[in-house]
Amino acid sequence: MYSGEHRVLIANRGEIAIRIARACIELNLSFSCVYTEADRHSGHVRFARENGGSKSLYCISSYSDANEIFSVADSCGATAIHPGYGFFAEDFRFARRVAEREKPLIFIGPSWWIIRELGDKINTKRLARSLGVPTIPGSDKPIYNELEAVEFADSLFAFQKEQGFKASAIMVKASAGGGGMGIEEVTDPDEFRSVFRRIRNYSKRQFNDEGVLIEQRIYGFNHLEVQIVSERSGQKHVHFGTRNCSIQSSGNQKRIEVAPGFASEDIHYIFNATSVLDCITSHSLSMAQEVSYDNVGTWEWIVTPRGEPFLMEVNTRIQVENGVSAAISSISGQGKVDIVREQLRLGLGADIGYSQHDISLNGLALEYRIIAENPDRNFAPWVGTIERFGWVAEDWLEVFTQVPTDCEYEIPTEFDPNLALAIVHGDSLEQVRKRGIEFLDGLELRGVDRAGLQLQSNISYLKEKTSIILEF
Amino acid sequence: MDTDKRLDALTKRLDYIKDIFKSNENANVTMLSSELGECKQSRLKNHLQDLDRALTRLEDLFSFLEAKLEKELTPMDRVRIVRHPQRICLNDILENVYDNYTELGGLGENSIDPAMVIAQACIARRVGNKVVNQPVMVIGQEKGHGQEFRNGGSVKPWGNAKALHYMKVAQAEGIPIHTYIFTPGSYPIEDYPGAAQQIAKNIYEMGQINVPIVAVISEGGSGGAEAIGLADRRLMLSHGYYSVISPEGAAAIEGNPRTGNRVSEALIASCAKKLCITAEDNLRMGYVDRIIHEPVLGARPHNYDFFRVLRSEVIRATNEACLSVKRVKFFKAMAIRRKRTQDGKEIFMRWALSNGARKRLTEKRHSKFRELSTSAYMDNRSLMLKLGTALQSTAWSTKSWLLYDLIGRGARAAKQGVEGIQAEVLQVKEKACSLIKKDNDSDPVGNNISREARDKILCLSSPAQQGACLEDGTWKYRSPQSIIDRTFSCPNSAEEGCLDLWGPDLFGDFGGVCITCGHHFRMEYQWYLYNVFNYADGFEFNSGIEAANPLDYEGFDLKLDEVRKKTGLRSSCITFETRMDGINAVVICIAAPFRGGSIGAAEGEKIIRAAERAQRKQLPLIAYVHGTAGIRIQEGTHGVLQMPRCTMAVRRYMDAGGLYLVVYDTNSYGGTVASFLGCSPYQFGIRSSSIGFAGPRVITETTGIKVPPNYHNAWKALARGHIQGIWDRREMSKNVQQSLLTMGGRNLYYR
Repeated sequence: MYSGEHRVLIANRGEIAIRIARACIELNLSFSCVYTEADRHSGHVRFARENGGSKSLYCISSYSDANEIFSVADSCGATAIHPGYGFFAEDFRFARRVAEREKPLIFIGPSWWIIRELGDKINTKRLARSLGVPTIPGSDKPIYNELEAVEFADSLFAFQKEQGFKASAIMVKASAGGGGMGIEEVTDPDEFRSVFRRIRNYSKRQFNDEGVLIEQRIYGFNHLEVQIVSERSGQKHVHFGTRNCSIQSSGNQKRIEVAPGFASEDIHYIFNATSVLDCITSHSLSMAQEVSYDNVGTWEWIVTPRGEPFLMEVNTRIQVENGVSAAISSISGQGKVDIVREQLRLGLGADIGYSQHDISLNGLALEYRIIAENPDRNFAPWVGTIERFGWVAEDWLEVFTQVPTDCEYEIPTEFDPNLALAIVHGDSLEQVRKRGIEFLDGLELRGVDRAGLQLQSNISYLKEKTSIILEF
Repeated sequence: MDTDKRLDALTKRLDYIKDIFKSNENANVTMLSSELGECKQSRLKNHLQDLDRALTRLEDLFSFLEAKLEKELTPMDRVRIVRHPQRICLNDILENVYDNYTELGGLGENSIDPAMVIAQACIARRVGNKVVNQPVMVIGQEKGHGQEFRNGGSVKPWGNAKALHYMKVAQAEGIPIHTYIFTPGSYPIEDYPGAAQQIAKNIYEMGQINVPIVAVISEGGSGGAEAIGLADRRLMLSHGYYSVISPEGAAAIEGNPRTGNRVSEALIASCAKKLCITAEDNLRMGYVDRIIHEPVLGARPHNYDFFRVLRSEVIRATNEACLSVKRVKFFKAMAIRRKRTQDGKEIFMRWALSNGARKRLTEKRHSKFRELSTSAYMDNRSLMLKLGTALQSTAWSTKSWLLYDLIGRGARAAKQGVEGIQAEVLQVKEKACSLIKKDNDSDPVGNNISREARDKILCLSSPAQQGACLEDGTWKYRSPQSIIDRTFSCPNSAEEGCLDLWGPDLFGDFGGVCITCGHHFRMEYQWYLYNVFNYADGFEFNSGIEAANPLDYEGFDLKLDEVRKKTGLRSSCITFETRMDGINAVVICIAAPFRGGSIGAAEGEKIIRAAERAQRKQLPLIAYVHGTAGIRIQEGTHGVLQMPRCTMAVRRYMDAGGLYLVVYDTNSYGGTVASFLGCSPYQFGIRSSSIGFAGPRVITETTGIKVPPNYHNAWKALARGHIQGIWDRREMSKNVQQSLLTMGGRNLYYR
């Protein structure tokens, strides 16, 4: 592996770019940031200008133009690229190009073939099943034949009946689809045939592939995650506990994440919460072992109201909410963990240096995503200029943001709308809730849009939801 | 007065000679010119008698020198003769050769295409005391004598459609067809239908027109000539030319076409020579059956003797065509053979044929063309191999007959019978069961589902079937372009905003398709061979038939060697047998890297043999055209003859109940599209391919029309009805499979 000095190109923006840059400084690495014209007032640009030194800041036309990123990498002499989250984070082609171009670089993230393998949901499901990891009941490959599909749907209905569900339902999806396209719910077995045909035709028109997936519909589930970390060898895997990300906006966007996944000491669940968490962590670790997973990643699970976990997908990247897991973890009793820093360190080839025994998880943490939006109007985003943004600093509080606190900031419209992530840590559920409300109460966020209307934010929504975190 | 006329006539003769030999200053011509000038000068001074003497002397001199010039005519001079406005045209022939005629499908300028003239004509013969009128259908291009609306005999697609229509009329009426070929080439426009489409259709149909066809070639330019030239007897005028391309066209290709400079006269003349376009050359190569001798320096409308010769020649040719298939011949055959045409008296015979004779006629036409140009390629197969192949093909026909016709039919019937009985048994069984079960019907079956069903829902199923192309999600063949670290810009990026694509992504994973707009980048033909057609080396056949240089075209041997070395191919055509998803097929691949995918005698032979093989083995026949520039011009008439030859072969294959599928990729133009490719009822285009008769540059050069850049693209071809669909390269395998299962062919082995 490269032995000289590393320079990391951060191919991302906003708070994650700042966090990566900060981790670079902590690890004594030089870094370069990129920004677009719309982002010129963003915190990460200022951070790079103030702390990066020479060759640390480049203006590009788009964050998603790989060619431009590579030309920046060549001109700044980067040796590694960190994709952050979003943009190229889960693009195996980008990762492969990073590794296989004439002048190869290190991709801070799992190896491209792992991203490819786990990026495909059907493939992940088949892999999980081959290892005995529980997955959502249903097909694990596209069904083309109508007779076969009807038979399959019938047995899925029968299965739910057998399981004692009062209302059984199945989902019919275009196997090539995604993001809510070409997906329909069927509750009446007699309707299945027509829905199947509709989805198949839609799929053929839209994606030129007739394959259809059939799965059980699960109502009222909780969304849990397991944070996995591994070194480049792909042999040593540790986890940093679980997270519960069930509080989501109407568009299935996470708003509050809590670690750990369940608070079995404070809340009574109808199932054995501890054993569910153990089950999903051990399954996630065994899968990571099987594919020789070699960086940070998140195994996403859904847990049904009866406490059955099903693997949903694997996110082969650092996630927005990595901070909550870090906040409750410590390695060999030493202070806070920074998963971004760990990712960078391990991604560049360092040994992990500790094992699962050295990791202890204490207390609880929650993360608020503070966004300018109107939760009452279907989370419609608010666009305008932030005039004042500030909070009361506490030792149990960490805020990651690209929004400057000492000057005005116009929210760019073309990127994801997160303004800030606030991580609140506490020893008990009660304390975390209290501190969370305290933080939100002390939060100052004012602004005005072009029409002179006041800034709208989701603070009230976050307050309201704080009282029900981890409840199932 | 008389002297004036004579002088005028001489001036005209001189002008004509000057026109023919225009560029090269000929000593003889100069002499004539000055002599005539002197004579004109001295006209007024001299006595009438002196003048008369001088004129007579001059006339003799003209005749003498014309005969001398005739002997040293170069091929290019012949081209100029043929193109001269004073050249005889079809209307002259109709007036002078036939005894009565009616023009059909328009009159003069008021015609759907004045460049194509069709007339029903009569040849009146005196038999004993009776006069017998023998009707024939006369079809030919009309150049006129310089009239603009005749378009120089360049026929538009609908003109060819008109010709085909009246050929069918002639077939229905059972009268012979005489075609006269006076065309520099077809008018290369794409319309509804396009030029290529219509020519392909003409050739396809003419192969099976079951009345005698006699063709007379004066100016036979490539596709335009073939559109009406597939005949039982092909006669050629001694000053005519018959070629794959006009000498100017060949010169434009030989010279540097990019610079846009006009090519030099010398180069054109040398091309004319190298292409072997004259009547003698074509007779020697066997592409025409007889030469009709013209008067010195070419026939002109006042050469009435020539029309007499022409008349007896076409009658004789028609007689021969009829006689060759008649069962009862007696002495007529001998008489016709013995008879000299110059006698002016022809043997009379009826030209109506019996049904059996008509069948034999098309059969004979097929074998006539099948035998042509067989010496124009290299056959490097060993004698044993050749012998083996011959034996093998007989074995195949016997085997498929036994397997699919004799046993197959019986087996199918037996299977159907068994199925019927099974269904009956099932019915009875169900009835019986329901009677027994009736009592305990109320008992619920229970909520438990079977173990199998549960496993299906919860456990890993058997792996999904993968297409022929993909193995573990990657293509079997990876393009060499996919290992270079460079990016490619999509040509549509300005309109569609496509980002540049990295080579390994584009050519490795995406199969050379832009993921934003779907533009298909050029891909090697091997990609298709391996990823679509499951190509395996051992299943290629006739690879020993190699492209050669039959005309000894200067410099072409070198070029052939070069391309052989570069591509590793021996001809532009690869024929092989393969198995795709359980179905065997014969595949013809025309590879663009070998001389632009042009078709010559070797390729034609391979295509014919592939079609015959597919027919014998009752296999589907797939032609994958990676790209074709048409007929290989360096092979001259050897090349152009592949149009009718291959078309007749695939026609026979289709008539025998096969499935002939054509898929175009990249650029497909020229005579190939206008013949054996364009005649398939199942033609498809890969996206971003271009299909047409002549490329945009050629159209602009020959017609002066500026064509839009998307004029030939696959969508336009689809709209014109030329192709039946547009395929995505990545899904080609699926589409081929779908075609094999749904299209054509009552006589395929798997049906």
